[in-house]
Amino acid sequence: MTYSPELLKGTLKTIVMKLLADNKKMYGYEITQKVKELTRDKIQITEGALYPTLHALEADGLVTTEVEYIGKRIRKYYSLSPTGKAATREKLKELTNFMDTMIALLEIKPKMA
Amino acid sequence: MYQLDDQEIDFILTDLRQRGIETESMRMNLLDHICILIENTLQEDGDFPQFYATTIRSFYKEELRELEDEAHLLMALNKGQLLLSRNQFFFSLAALLIIPVLYKFSCLVVFFHPLLVLLVIFLTPDRFDPLIPRKAKILLGGRSMISVILAKE
Repeated sequence: MTYSPELLKGTLKTIVMKLLADNKKMYGYEITQKVKELTRDKIQITEGALYPTLHALEADGLVTTEVEYIGKRIRKYYSLSPTGKAATREKLKELTNFMDTMIALLEIKPKMA
Repeated sequence: MYQLDDQEIDFILTDLRQRGIETESMRMNLLDHICILIENTLQEDGDFPQFYATTIRSFYKEELRELEDEAHLLMALNKGQLLLSRNQFFFSLAALLIIPVLYKFSCLVVFFHPLLVLLVIFLTPDRFDPLIPRKAKILLGGRSMISVILAKE
């Protein structure tokens, strides 16, 4: 089962920022693969969603970039800026809070281990 | 594993440009992503044009340009481009229309009123609602009009 893009849209920024916080620097394809691996294919980030998000994060100064030349290609690595690190903590706090609220709102009973 | 040559990389770059990806950084990201997909998936004797056509189609819903538009939308949402809110803008314009009536066209108003009108219009930047589709944007401010005229379509 994969989750719908609509469900993921509001959390994509947080997912990307958390991955960058955990992995120092990553490039686009690497991010998509890491998400697939960590979620056992349940979340598949599309290129159409990932790259606009990365560009917006860069424009907002939340990530910094460095490039690697591979022949005629350029690979762009993203890493969190100091502002981005602080913003990631805030985003995670907000998302955790939101999930707790949704659980309460939808009366979802957490699965017992 | 398929090995892309320079000619094929140039082909992809040209195609991305023709499909409306104008930002170089976005083009480079997409190029790298496509190249990795091709190199990891396509067999050594595989059909490059066919595989590329299928791969690029999976990147968008209607047209590839959506990616660039989405990036601009996300950036606009976080920018806070407006000096005046919608209500402030209309209130200021209405006030400026009423002022000459209240002062019965006094000398002071005659000199300053046109200037004030221009200030309100031009200091209200990009009165675009980023959530409105690109083709349906509404122009309210003069600065918006100038930016549209100067913008590359």
